Amino acid sequence: MKQLLAQATVIARRDFMSIVGTPTFLIFLLAPLLMLVISTASGLGAASMADNSAAKSRIVVLAAGDDAKRIEAANKTLRLLYRGDGGPAALNIIAPASDPAIQARQLLHAESIETDAIMFGPLDRPTVSFGEDSQVSGQYLAALAERAMRSARNGSTQIEQLSKPEMVIIKTPAITVNTRQAAGVGAVFVIFLLTLLLAGQTVGMLAEEKSNKVIEILAAAVRLEAVFFGKLMGMFGVAIVFIAFWGVLMGVAVQFIPDEFSLSAYQPAVGLPIFLLLCSAYFAMAFMLLGAVFLGVGAQAATMREIQMMSLPITIFQVAMFGLSSAAAGNPGSKIARIAEWFPFSSPFAMAAHGATDPALWPHFIALIWQAIWVALTIIIAARLFRAGVLKSGGGFWAVFGFGRKASAI
Amino acid sequence: MDNEFPVWARGLVKSFGKSEAVRGVNLTVPQGSIYGVLGPNGAGKTTTLRMLLGIIDPDKGERRLLGNSSPRDVSYRVGYLPEERGLYPQMKSREAIAFMGALRGLDWNEGRKRADAMLETAGLGHAAHKKIRTLSKGMSQLVQLLGSIVHQPELIVLDEPFSGLDPVNQENLEKLILTERARGATILFSTHVMGHAERMCDRLSIIARGQVHFEGTVDDARRMLPMRAHYVPSSNGDGVSELLPAGAELAGDGWRFAVPFGGAEDIVKKLISAGHGISGLSIERPGLHDAFVQIVSQANAGDVA
Repeated sequence: MKQLLAQATVIARRDFMSIVGTPTFLIFLLAPLLMLVISTASGLGAASMADNSAAKSRIVVLAAGDDAKRIEAANKTLRLLYRGDGGPAALNIIAPASDPAIQARQLLHAESIETDAIMFGPLDRPTVSFGEDSQVSGQYLAALAERAMRSARNGSTQIEQLSKPEMVIIKTPAITVNTRQAAGVGAVFVIFLLTLLLAGQTVGMLAEEKSNKVIEILAAAVRLEAVFFGKLMGMFGVAIVFIAFWGVLMGVAVQFIPDEFSLSAYQPAVGLPIFLLLCSAYFAMAFMLLGAVFLGVGAQAATMREIQMMSLPITIFQVAMFGLSSAAAGNPGSKIARIAEWFPFSSPFAMAAHGATDPALWPHFIALIWQAIWVALTIIIAARLFRAGVLKSGGGFWAVFGFGRKASAI
Repeated sequence: MDNEFPVWARGLVKSFGKSEAVRGVNLTVPQGSIYGVLGPNGAGKTTTLRMLLGIIDPDKGERRLLGNSSPRDVSYRVGYLPEERGLYPQMKSREAIAFMGALRGLDWNEGRKRADAMLETAGLGHAAHKKIRTLSKGMSQLVQLLGSIVHQPELIVLDEPFSGLDPVNQENLEKLILTERARGATILFSTHVMGHAERMCDRLSIIARGQVHFEGTVDDARRMLPMRAHYVPSSNGDGVSELLPAGAELAGDGWRFAVPFGGAEDIVKKLISAGHGISGLSIERPGLHDAFVQIVSQANAGDVA
C-alpha cells in the first residue's frame, strides 16, 4: 500500500506540474467566466425551489366543531379573492389540545413543515401568532375569524368589528427548514458545478501516455492502480489550485454583498464550519468517484475522436447525478433521498445536502467510508479493464473482477 | 532452484484472439550475464518480455523475476527499455531520467544528480536542460535508456535497444551495457540484429513462431552448422568438384563447401593427391547470422510441415 501510494504520488506530481506549468492552464483557470451562463440556469432552479418551499408552509387554525366549519367556509370564500399563486399558504384546521398556546408554539417551531401563522382561542378574541415575514398570513387568519363570526351571526352586516384578535409577532428563528434545504441545494449545486468543470478533465488523462507510448514504461514500473490513482490525484491537485483561485476571488466578492442577501441566514443543521468541511470532503469524493469513472472510460478510447465522443454521455451522467441529488435535497428523508445517499455516484452530493438538514454527524462518517470504498473499487476495475483491453493482457470479462485464471497479481 | 536465476520462465503461452503469439517458452537467465533473445519480427520476443515483466499475464505457464512470481513486486530492482520508445516530450532530459527513477523508487533529487552525471558520461551533458521534443531520435532514445538504469537495477530488460540508433550510438550503447554488466547487473535484451548478440551475449535463445528453438552460448549456436571452407586450387579446376563434398559451390576462382564434422583433412589430402594443389585455403566457423537463419528456416519449415 505504501509503495502504491509512493508510486501514485510520483505520477500525480508529474501530471500536476505538466498541467499547471503550461500557458494552457491559464485558459482553463479563466474558463469559469462561463459560470455566468450557468448561473442563469441555477436561477431557474432557485425559482423552482421557491415554489417547492411555498408548498412546504401552511397557516393553522386551532378550532373544532362549528367554529372549524365556519373557518373552513370562510376560507373557501376568502380564497376566491386571490388569483393565481398570490394567496396565503394552505390552511390546516387542527383540533385544539388541552393547552392551545403550547400547541401553537410547538406547531410554529415544527421542523417538518413551516407554519407561517397560527390562530387559536375563541373566535371573538382569538390569538393570532405569526412570523415577522408573515404579517399577511396573520391578517388573513384575523380576516377568517371576522368572517366566521359574521357567519355565526347569520351574516351580520353591522359595521362594528366582531372579532378582536390579539396579534402576536413571533420572532421566528432565521433558520428554518426552508433555509436549511436551500443550503443543501446550494451545496449540491456548488459541488456539482465544480465536478462538472473539473472531474470531466480526467477523461483524456491517459491519452498522452498512450500516444507517447509512456504507458508501457508506467505499466512495467508501477501497478496500474497507482497510475490511475496518481492521475486522479494530479488532476485533483489542479482542481484545488482552481478552487483556491476562484475561492479567493469569491471571498473578495462576498465582502460587497448587501446585508439583506447575507449568506449567514443559510445555516446548515450541522453548523457552518462542519458543513464546509463536509462539503470539501464530499467534493473530494465526488471528484474521485466521477473522475475515476471518466478516467477509466477515457482510457479505453483508442483515439482523440473517441474521447471527444465520450464527453456527451459523461456530461449526461453528471447531470443525472445532479438531478437525483437535487431531488434528494428538496425532499430530505424521502425515499428518493435515501436512494441518492446510498447510490455511490450521487452519494457525495446527496450527503452534502443531508448535512444541511440533519445535525447528526455519524451518517457522514459512514458515507465517506462507503464512498472511499467505491473510489477504490472504481479505480481497481478501471485499471483491470485497461490492462485487459488496452494492454491486451486478456483473461476475459470476469477476470476483471478477479474471477478465473486472471486473478493473479496485476 | 528457479530462485537462483534473475529470470526464469517455464511453458509461457500467450494468445491474442485466435493468434498464438507465444507457445510454451522456457527461459533461464543466469545471474550477471548478458542474455539475448533473438528472433525474426513477430517471433514473440516482445510478448515474452512483457509477460516476464508482468505488463501482461501469460495464459499458461510460470514466470519468476528476481525470484518473485509477481514481477511488479520487484519493479524497483528492474530496469526496462520498451520496444516502442516513450517519453513526455515536454519534459527536460534530466527530469525525464529522474522521473523514471522515481517511478522505480529512487528519490527525485538523487535521480536528478545521477541524471546529470549519466548525461555527462554519455556525452549528452549539453542536453540536460533541453526538452525531449527538441532532441534527436537517437538522443531521446539514449535518455530513455539512461532513465531505465538510473536506479541501478539488478536486472535490465531491453527490447530491441539498438533499433533506430546510428552506428556510433550503437557502439556507445554496447559500451553502456557492458558497463552495467561490470557493475553486476544481469542484462536481458531482444534483437534481430545478430552482430550485437554475437559480440555481447553470454547466452541466448532463438525464438521463432512463439517457441524457443535454440538455447545456449553463441559458440553453441555456431557449432550447430558445419565449418565453411574456401578452397582455391593451384592448377586448373577440372575434376575438383568430384572430390569436394556435396553442395560445394564455385565462388570466383575457388570453391566454397561445408566442412564435414570429421574435419577437412581427408578432402585436402585427396585434392593434393589428385594434383590440384592449394593456392588458397581458408576455413571459417559460420557466424551467428548463419545459425540464426538456419534455425529460423527449420522452425518455419517445421511449422509448415
